[in-house]
Amino acid sequence: MIDAYLLTLLVFSPLLGIIALLFVQREQANVLKTIGIVATLLPFVLSLVLFITFDFGEQGFQFVHQMPWIEFVIAEDLALDIHYELGADGLSVALILLTTIVTTLAALASLYIKQRLKEYFILFLILEIGMLGVFTAKNLLLFFIFFELTVIPLFFLIAIAGYIHREKAAISFLIYNGIGSAVMLIAFAVMFMYTGTVHIDALAEAFAHPDWSTAFKTGLFLALLFAFGVKLPIFPLHSWMLKVHVQAHPAVVMIHSGILLKLGAYGLIRLGLGIFPEQVAQLSFLIAILGVLNILYGAVLAFVQEDLKMVMAYSSVSHMGIVLLGIAALNDSGLQGAIFQTISHGLISALLFFIIGMIYERTQTSMIADLGGLAKSMPITSGVFLAAALANLGLPGMSGFISEFMSFLGLFGAYPWVAAVGVLGIILTAVYLLRAILNTTFGPAKEKWSELIDAKGFEVLPLAVLLGLIILIGVYPSILGDTIHGSVDYIVQSLTARTGG
Amino acid sequence: MIENAWLIPLFPLVAFILLIAFGRRLKESSAWLGILFTLGAFLLSVMTLFERLRLDHSASVVVDWLQIGDHLITMGYEITPLNALMLFIVSLVSLLVHIYSRGYMDGDDRISVFYAYLALFTFSMLGLVIAPNLLQVYIFWELVGVCSFLLVGFYFYKPEAKRAARKAFIMTRIGDVGLFVAMSLLFWQVGSFELAAIFTAVENNELSAGLITLTAILIFVAAIGKSGQFPLHTWLPDAMEGPTPVSALIHAATMVAAGVYLVAVMFPLFEASPAAMNTVAYVGGFTAIFAASIALVQNDIKRVLAYSTVSQLGYMMLALGAAGYVAGTFHLMTHAFFKALLFLAAGSVIHALHKQNIQEMGGLSARMKWTAALFFVGCLSIAGIPPFSGFFSKEEILLTVWQDGRAGLFIVAVFTAFLTAFYMFRLFFLVFSGESRSRDMNQVKESPSVMMFPMLILGILAVGSGFVHTHWFGTFLGDWLISGPASTYGAQAHSETWILILALVVSLLGIGLAYLMYAKRTWDHRALAERLPLAYRVLYNKYYVDEAYRYTFVSGLRGLGIFLNFFDRYVVEGVLRLIHGIMTGIGTVGAKIQNGQVQVYGITMVCGLVILIIGFIMAGGYLR
Amino acid sequence: MTSVPLNAYLIVAAILFCIGLYGALTKRNAVIVLLSIELMLNAVNINFIAFARFGLYPGMIGQVFTVFTISIAAVGAAVGIAILIALYRNRGTVNIDEMDLLKR
Repeated sequence: MIDAYLLTLLVFSPLLGIIALLFVQREQANVLKTIGIVATLLPFVLSLVLFITFDFGEQGFQFVHQMPWIEFVIAEDLALDIHYELGADGLSVALILLTTIVTTLAALASLYIKQRLKEYFILFLILEIGMLGVFTAKNLLLFFIFFELTVIPLFFLIAIAGYIHREKAAISFLIYNGIGSAVMLIAFAVMFMYTGTVHIDALAEAFAHPDWSTAFKTGLFLALLFAFGVKLPIFPLHSWMLKVHVQAHPAVVMIHSGILLKLGAYGLIRLGLGIFPEQVAQLSFLIAILGVLNILYGAVLAFVQEDLKMVMAYSSVSHMGIVLLGIAALNDSGLQGAIFQTISHGLISALLFFIIGMIYERTQTSMIADLGGLAKSMPITSGVFLAAALANLGLPGMSGFISEFMSFLGLFGAYPWVAAVGVLGIILTAVYLLRAILNTTFGPAKEKWSELIDAKGFEVLPLAVLLGLIILIGVYPSILGDTIHGSVDYIVQSLTARTGG
Repeated sequence: MIENAWLIPLFPLVAFILLIAFGRRLKESSAWLGILFTLGAFLLSVMTLFERLRLDHSASVVVDWLQIGDHLITMGYEITPLNALMLFIVSLVSLLVHIYSRGYMDGDDRISVFYAYLALFTFSMLGLVIAPNLLQVYIFWELVGVCSFLLVGFYFYKPEAKRAARKAFIMTRIGDVGLFVAMSLLFWQVGSFELAAIFTAVENNELSAGLITLTAILIFVAAIGKSGQFPLHTWLPDAMEGPTPVSALIHAATMVAAGVYLVAVMFPLFEASPAAMNTVAYVGGFTAIFAASIALVQNDIKRVLAYSTVSQLGYMMLALGAAGYVAGTFHLMTHAFFKALLFLAAGSVIHALHKQNIQEMGGLSARMKWTAALFFVGCLSIAGIPPFSGFFSKEEILLTVWQDGRAGLFIVAVFTAFLTAFYMFRLFFLVFSGESRSRDMNQVKESPSVMMFPMLILGILAVGSGFVHTHWFGTFLGDWLISGPASTYGAQAHSETWILILALVVSLLGIGLAYLMYAKRTWDHRALAERLPLAYRVLYNKYYVDEAYRYTFVSGLRGLGIFLNFFDRYVVEGVLRLIHGIMTGIGTVGAKIQNGQVQVYGITMVCGLVILIIGFIMAGGYLR
Repeated sequence: MTSVPLNAYLIVAAILFCIGLYGALTKRNAVIVLLSIELMLNAVNINFIAFARFGLYPGMIGQVFTVFTISIAAVGAAVGIAILIALYRNRGTVNIDEMDLLKR
């Protein structure tokens, strides 16, 4: 019985925290913080239950919770019949776990925040509902609602807790994502108008029919590519996320870079590949080129940035390119790589931004030139920072390697020449990351940083958990591979069936 | 024991984990923990080696690691003769360096970190040499690279160490990409990463000749990066910023030899492509003479040894390129021993003097007898004087190159042998003989026995290890090596007396010239430098390769980055500004219409509605 | 019962609506403006009921909606008057011409 309601419980469990927060006065900072953190534990525990009870041998959706929601007779031949339905497959489970883990750790990182805590934590928990909802939604309407439920709280979160130009960043975020959402809504509406359903599986079936004109489907897919491309982001739609990375509070950036960028990847895989595999196949070369462009463009720009946060922001651009590569490869290896990259980059960038937040908390700067020699006074933090950077540049034994390796391997199977250009990114990643990290932690210790305190108290937990997970996936990738295996197989099978190999 | 060979790398891994976890509490005793675990690995390696000597088949075990579609990727180990030999070399040198470091790093408050890194390196290197598939090779290949990076940058507060570490990592990574690409290409052709499967495919002509050449050369690119071959050699001399035991272990005996090992492991693939063999031979030959010529004029004791390492690795590549599987591997082994010895002896000198410039040394043999004697043994060995081990392996290489039939390369090899003898003895005479050229020589004393013991072991090996493969008593090593799993390992060289004599004469000439110039000072080397200022300056500045890279690649990348930064800031963000501008414009116009009177708004709305209704009626119903 | 045709209801509603619209747009006293808005709502209510009886799908839905509208209109009026009183206390007038706070 609980099975049917598990996902609903999971998705809406942060509500409990929101209600609790409403009854706390805004002056009681410690109570607010405690409730905020404890409230994120509930979805985490539920997601663990989901992970443990999930049957990874099966391909399709499990824990499906379905009930009638909107029933509306518009005309005799046209009835609006939309169900509330949540479901999870392996891909969802992996991303849900990522979400709950990173959210809990980001809530810990929120301890640095000093003002407007009540609004902050309420919005934070709404954001979590939105993210969990997107990963479980089984129809476009729910998907869209949850998707928007992430955009609006995030807008305020950026504006509430952040640095000097945070309002500008928030507005930039809203403009881009607003346009993206609008395009997505139009695409959804058109799909609904022509098929009469918003159910994702039903849409996939409907568009498998050969009667649709190719141009129509291509148009729809391009709209989706644009909408999710803003989120991912794909060059040249990335400039908003740079501002967000730099101006938002590190705790928010952990969520943003760790999970929200992945909504784009998830959308592309679930809706793009799920509903329009022919179009993905047809445009795979373009996607591969976009991916390589992302990788190289992000890498070259990351090399000349003066601000650690900017380096990591461009690094995100670069690493999201790998997701595109994996999708463009259209084979098991590439797709698996894309999903691995989604998860792995979520963990790594959350870790990196947590550390940058720690450094900023102590030094009030994140400019590379101002820092230097931090390894002297903060050996543990610097060590983890270096490890995170090495994971990010794809060191074997860390999760970044597995994803990079499988994505590129997949692309070598599909477009060897594009992949050969793309691997230059592997070198460039090493160049810019080492430049940033070594100039921060290595070198002569500066006088003013000699008294810094190393990671202590609650700060140890995110460092340990994230690094542990990164290494776990790197050493034993099957733990994630088995989780998503069914989903990947299913997508590739339907792909082969519909595009004829 | 051979069934449990997978335990060997686990020993240092456990040591690494323990040291990371408890190193701060263990402090100095962390050294003994590291030594103990390495000793365990070494003992197992010895047992594995002896067992493998008796067997006539390779042992291998695999476990599942990751499923990609229909392909199951496995991890495991394989004990071929080459692997067993490498296990022995790596664990032995690693053990000795662990012991030596106890003395060298004494008093450093990060000694537990140092031993942790050493343990991680030993784990990675041992994992590399038992890998049965290319993916595993790549994984450990990268891991040894990162350990090298960590250890070169061990003195992280020194700017030079920071730069050297970064350079080491990036330069080797450029090479690694070659391996990555080759591995991916082979995977799609063969359907597996297993070395055995790849060799079978090569044998059965399942791969096109172009693909074989391409992948072989790409793999060689990785070897170029790791083994410091031209044009990716510049990181290796800079890597001398690391602690000297590290230079001995990683940048002389084991990791840099991994490039040679990789080519040797992939030998059946290389052999199938004459173009690839040519590339290996010519790059190796060129690097050998190129690096040797630089080593002639360097003044830093470790840098001379570093260039000598580059040159010797080039020698090994040359041998492999000339189809000398045995010669290359043999020289790898002897070189590991005598070069580790030389580095440890140099470390002993540095430990005593706290300086590295050989122009400020001299006359040390009186105060450091043991070090001087052992360094002398190392020099004789690398110069190729019988019966030291270097003589046999170098002779084997010369024989192979001659019998392979490329006369040009043979001349290069012989000339390099001459240069090697010359610069090694220049080093020896400048450091140990004559008068002391610095004042504070009184405090100099011999290093502690914990440092001398490993050097002594290496000294014995540098003398004796050549006898496992000689044309006088028998070519045991070669016969055993080519009994490996692949079907062919090229031809074994046979002895030719005139080459033997030629090699000896050339070496003696080099030593004699060094003696005249630096010990007896019959000819003044400074006058020679003044007579040829241009040549001297070019050599002293290492042919300006670093500068060339700085002005082309580094500046180029930075320039591109700055350009794209402007592009990003003004063009890409311009889109946002445009949207923003349009919105603001519309807003300004709209604001003028608003006067705050609700009724005016109402009228406007009604007018709008009327227009809509009229439009609706004119269109005649729904806009279908 | 069906003797009165649909058009008659609609015409009454339209007239009522126009009166309300005229009042809402031209009167300067805010109380009258509010009353006019109520008129317009009532016009809509008449339409609802008329269509509920004579429309394509006759049923109770129109009447249900009317009940909703009436209650919402009551709430609206109450809030409107409350705002008006607050404004009056602040500014001493209910003259709509002088209320241009929206501009600022």
